[in-house]
Amino acid sequence: MNAVEQEAGELAAGLRRRDPALIDYLIEQYRYRLFRYLLMLTGQRHEAEDLFQETWIRVLEKGHQYKERWKFETWLFTIARHLAIDYRRRRHLESLDALLQPADTGRPLEVEDTASASAFEQAFQGEEAARVATALGHLPTSYREVLTLRFHEDLELEEIARVVDSPLSTVKSRLYRGLAMLREWLKDIYA
Amino acid sequence: MREENHERALQLIDKMHLEGLTTAEREELQAHLESCARCQEQERQTELALRAFRAAAPRFDGSLVIRTQMQVRVRALEITENAARLRALWISCALSWVLGVVSAPLMWRGFEWIGHRLALSRVVWITGFALAWVAPAVVTAAIIVWRQAERAVGSRQ
Repeated sequence: MNAVEQEAGELAAGLRRRDPALIDYLIEQYRYRLFRYLLMLTGQRHEAEDLFQETWIRVLEKGHQYKERWKFETWLFTIARHLAIDYRRRRHLESLDALLQPADTGRPLEVEDTASASAFEQAFQGEEAARVATALGHLPTSYREVLTLRFHEDLELEEIARVVDSPLSTVKSRLYRGLAMLREWLKDIYA
Repeated sequence: MREENHERALQLIDKMHLEGLTTAEREELQAHLESCARCQEQERQTELALRAFRAAAPRFDGSLVIRTQMQVRVRALEITENAARLRALWISCALSWVLGVVSAPLMWRGFEWIGHRLALSRVVWITGFALAWVAPAVVTAAIIVWRQAERAVGSRQ
């Protein structure tokens, strides 16, 4: 057994016995990445904070379901994503599910204002980041989600497909369209 | 240069960032970029957009970690307490079942005797016996279902 497998085994065992010290450590370790993913997904700071807390409670409750062959962050983001969809449904807000499954109509640069740009501006720091945030606010949620999983989290395309529970072809199409939109929106900044 | 050559180069630029290129594709793109200012500009824009995207850092409230850790610990305690309570319930349930099985012949005779004394029909006292025998299990099952429903509502809120 190599070191990585041993570490994964220890992680799975710790989650099974609901070891609070391990979960404290994981919260510390993944705090920023999970929060960034949730913020990209929801576009709302308070919602991302609520979901951050709910996600870790769910990790505690469902820890026994974690399999050591899974990459922890893939499992974590999957939980967070399900909770985000559930959160919207429970509060009768706009369905995140619908936002995450836009019709793939082949319109590469169509702009959909799915999240308030100003919400992103408030959540990001720095002048340039604020301008990037404006662009992010104009990206459809499903595109923003796959872009963050690819370029912030460095997940493989297959892992992204697992997190977003979609075929690889859908993930690729969202990535290509998302990148095209992002480039288009940021073009003015660097012109 | 033909338009489809540019389109192909633009596709390869995106593919390079999203999926990676084969050696042949990389060489093809490189060769095109060396002689095409327009596609070079597209490559520069893509690089800048991705650099800006990667650098975008949301503000993070440090107290969120402490609040979350506290909530998780409280929930862990609740789960431990609930598990202990549920274990006690299952043990009492098992004991009640064993006692029920052991006492069934005696209860049967008791109900039979009462049935004779009160001149009840056989169907009536057998129904009474069946109800008395299953009552503890039904009550226990109802408590378990009720508690689980309550927990499910609690975890949804």
